[in-house]
Amino acid sequence: MTTELVVARRRRVLDAMSEREVDALVLGRQDNVGYSTGMARLWTSGTRPFGAGCVLMAKTQRTHLLSSWDAGVPTSVVFDDLYPITWNPKIMASSMAAIGGLSTARRIGVDACSPGFIRAAARFAPDAQIVPCDDLMARVRTVKLVEEIELVRSACQVAWSGVEAVLDRPDDPTPIAPALVAMAALGATIPSSKPVVRSEGDTTVVDLGVVVDLYEGGVGGRFVDGRREHAPTLVDACRDGATHEDLARSSTGPWLVRGLGMGYETPIIDAQRGQDLTLVTGMVLSVTDGDHRDVVAVTSGEPDVLSTPPYPASRLVDSGA
Amino acid sequence: MPVEDHLTYDVGRMRRERLARLRHHMAAQDVVATVLLHDPHVAYASGHVGPAVDSTHAVYQRPVAVIGQEGPVHLFTDHPSSDLAAEIHPSVFPELDESVAGLVEAIGMVAGTSGTSRLAVDEVTGAMLRSGLLDGFDLVDAGRVLGPARLVKTEDELACIDQAQRINEVAMEEVRTACLPGVRRSELAGLFSSRVRQLGVDDVLIDPIFQPMPRNLSDGPRTSTGHVAFPTGVGDPLFNEEDLVWVDTGIGVEGYASDYGRTWVVGRDPSSAEQGLFRRWSAVMEASLATMGPGVTLAEVGRAAIGADRGSVPWLPHFYLAHGLGVESAEMPMVGTDLGEEFDEQFVLEPGMVLVLEPVVWEDGIGGYRAEEVVAITDTGWRPLGGWPSHLPFKP
Repeated sequence: MTTELVVARRRRVLDAMSEREVDALVLGRQDNVGYSTGMARLWTSGTRPFGAGCVLMAKTQRTHLLSSWDAGVPTSVVFDDLYPITWNPKIMASSMAAIGGLSTARRIGVDACSPGFIRAAARFAPDAQIVPCDDLMARVRTVKLVEEIELVRSACQVAWSGVEAVLDRPDDPTPIAPALVAMAALGATIPSSKPVVRSEGDTTVVDLGVVVDLYEGGVGGRFVDGRREHAPTLVDACRDGATHEDLARSSTGPWLVRGLGMGYETPIIDAQRGQDLTLVTGMVLSVTDGDHRDVVAVTSGEPDVLSTPPYPASRLVDSGA
Repeated sequence: MPVEDHLTYDVGRMRRERLARLRHHMAAQDVVATVLLHDPHVAYASGHVGPAVDSTHAVYQRPVAVIGQEGPVHLFTDHPSSDLAAEIHPSVFPELDESVAGLVEAIGMVAGTSGTSRLAVDEVTGAMLRSGLLDGFDLVDAGRVLGPARLVKTEDELACIDQAQRINEVAMEEVRTACLPGVRRSELAGLFSSRVRQLGVDDVLIDPIFQPMPRNLSDGPRTSTGHVAFPTGVGDPLFNEEDLVWVDTGIGVEGYASDYGRTWVVGRDPSSAEQGLFRRWSAVMEASLATMGPGVTLAEVGRAAIGADRGSVPWLPHFYLAHGLGVESAEMPMVGTDLGEEFDEQFVLEPGMVLVLEPVVWEDGIGGYRAEEVVAITDTGWRPLGGWPSHLPFKP
């Protein structure tokens, strides 16, 4: 990931804060922190309790980051703008109060919060209103920058290496194990989704997701003799202007079209959700129909499939359907 | 190397006993309903354990548990764990504005739709804030009822931790032989994750840490405490023979975390100076354990560790000498944190509490030794959880 990308993403966030007249933005979600600062924190699975992972200030345009050291901290954040990890809510409140401009903020945006944070904010920023800004972050992240699309494409290739490892070892009693080793050999050790590997007669069903350099990649499908069945029409339906109805009509099995970038993102469109949503150019989507999954970027024309197989199209087979 | 089964557990009994503890603390604090969105909280209250996936996937697809003072636990998920006693409902997506009606209905099932009753919640999403669905409730952090419930473990909880720890140990003792010059961190991590799968565990809870450590504090990175930075999770280091590597991994069994920590050398024996660090670390560990038992304060354990290291503080100042372990990999009780001496003086250990002791000894120019062992407090003292493998190639 280049410094330019980190700078461009943060610029988008600061501009969105300005539009919404948010003085300070307190982000707890690791992906939002990563997007806004470039910081890759040690990965742990599952949800994390809400805490201030970073604070962006509109007036000073400075980024304040939760970290007890400068390792992994982008050069754009100076050491004095780090606040340390703590077990003590009073120390955290002091860290917040010490951020220039936060104590006099009128509107503090958050991507989530907790009763404890609301109470603490009433003390360290007594005049501030807490404003939900999860939607601000989601909107900023929806349309990808060019480098983001290439990072997703690379991550999809890593996922493919896992799929190939599964197919190369059809008799392995732990079929996912070779995939984990193969992806790790490319430096990728963070799963994004629950891996799926199962056999149905001659068919092997595989779905793998991985996070590489903060961006997610994934692929899934039904494989016979090491070859994947053709992509369903839902993949091709992911075009600029496509509506819920368009996508539903193109699907053949249980389906999900959702944002993909720094992990699972909006829009989320499936049979139950996202009735009013429309796809736009620049979105990157994970497209699942039955057991098939591809990752595509929406363009003004045909979708740009980012999860193309690392082998020639002649290896594709027609689905039985 | 086989994993020995030392303790067995009864999942149904564990779920019933946990729920009873949670409701006891809800009643004691007049909490009429508890709404849980955080995975470990949902696991504790409902028994449902989701897969160990990226936080973004966990957030959007998360199960939600709503618990009243009586009646069934209401669990909202499309893929529940098997044999739950909870009443299962279709998933609600608490991140999405379009899902708010489902959440209102969920909370209404136990708390009514209005009033000034006290409601415990662990997270409020943007959609929840916008909708105002919690307006009118007296909101408290769910940690106030879950914290005291989780502090003392049942026998089944202890058995889950023991099992997770033993599997973790077996996998790591095998990975240690692969920690050789020219090998990368990611290769060891892949080996560990695949070995854990082969041993029957799906959930790796933390990106495996194999961090080569500096020999001098001044070698960096720069820290707020002046001590070393660990664990940073930065980069993908390539090991060489000179390295001293701090390792730390954790997996989950029935939602319970393990915590394996050791210091490794890379394809060689430790130098006599490094061996000296290990002896110092062992003395701190022995002194801490000798103090451990019911009725003992956290401060007494901390003082024993400091006394054994001739007055220096033998742990990382941004962390602790010891931390609890359960449905989260670092929970209460914690010894020697920045909560301060008064906290440690007032906190008394009880039978059933779990502590992971993780002393760190450091000598500038030589480096540091860090390792972890898990204990459960008993009626008379403590007992080990996990098999406590040797610290080879370091020798006592």
